Amino acid sequence: MDDSHSVEETAFVVDEVSSIVKESIEGAIGANFYQQNRVNVWTSNVVEQCLSQLSKLGKPFKYIVTCIIMQKNGAGLQSASSCFWDNTTDGREHHYSTSTETVWLGDHCLSNLGVKPVHSVSQ
Amino acid sequence: MAEECNDFSIMANKPLPLSQEILAQFNLSLATGSCVPGPPRRRLGSISTHRSSKEQPKDQPLHRPMLLRAMTGPSSDSSFLSPNMSNSHISFSKRFSFAGWHQGGRVSFSGLYLPEPVQEIYKENTYRTGPEEGSRFSASRTQQITQATLDRYLEAVCYSPDSCSQLCQMLSDLVLSKLKDVNPPRYKLVCQVVVGQSGKQGVRVASRSLLNVDTDSYTSAVFQNQSLFAVAIVHGVYFE
Repeated sequence: MDDSHSVEETAFVVDEVSSIVKESIEGAIGANFYQQNRVNVWTSNVVEQCLSQLSKLGKPFKYIVTCIIMQKNGAGLQSASSCFWDNTTDGREHHYSTSTETVWLGDHCLSNLGVKPVHSVSQ
Repeated sequence: MAEECNDFSIMANKPLPLSQEILAQFNLSLATGSCVPGPPRRRLGSISTHRSSKEQPKDQPLHRPMLLRAMTGPSSDSSFLSPNMSNSHISFSKRFSFAGWHQGGRVSFSGLYLPEPVQEIYKENTYRTGPEEGSRFSASRTQQITQATLDRYLEAVCYSPDSCSQLCQMLSDLVLSKLKDVNPPRYKLVCQVVVGQSGKQGVRVASRSLLNVDTDSYTSAVFQNQSLFAVAIVHGVYFE
């Protein structure tokens, strides 16, 4: 592939990605209560919407999106991620939101692999 | 300093070409009245040498002359130079009276070290567009490693809010480091670990990616015990 992309084109723009993630979550779930039978649909919707919006950005990136939805019950949840990539071109972003039922959205990673960055949005 | 700068006759017979230039240049600067401390002046025209009971190894040509300027103290221990020497010359235990005379070193007028010139690395095209045969990301092997790591480290762990955040991060780094050993070349790894308290709540972890199906893959591993659950997701992505 062409290696002569400018830095701006191939940089990981945190703001854009963050807004996309936020909108996807709000659009797919909104302020709904946790319902077991609908959780599958919600996660699929969130992730798909995220990914489609990100791919529309048209950047030479690969993306990874992860979504975690948990019911608010007093239990604790931790999430961590480690990445073996190129720090100059790759990055991650995460978004977390709660409602009366916890909808927990985690990390979003973006990596540029050569000219094909990997971007992972994990919520 | 007098006892340090002696025996110039050793080297004076065979002056290096470069030394002449430097000397000439320096003497010119002297003539124009640059501020040089008085006492060392008379030695400035000398070629550096060493005082040692051992012979100088023949495979160490003298590269640069040392121009003395108020050298402060003798470097009486040979360890002064050892960090700067290559391994093959570790036994070269000479005593030098001035800084910087070491294999391949460069010294400025003042006797201070000059930084080594940056070696430019020229990258060439490998003309490889995909991973080699046999060196693709192996989902099954990765899954085994991840699952084994989770099982081993979480076997007797109880969930506690204070320590579990560190545990989570530590697990993530651990899995990544284990996978780096078996990671095929040109593959980047993204590892995510979710640790949660086992309660009566429902939780769903979902992941979707925009990757190249031919070269990239992912695996996941789950561990659960009485007090906690852990989910690890690893993506392997090929890059050119």
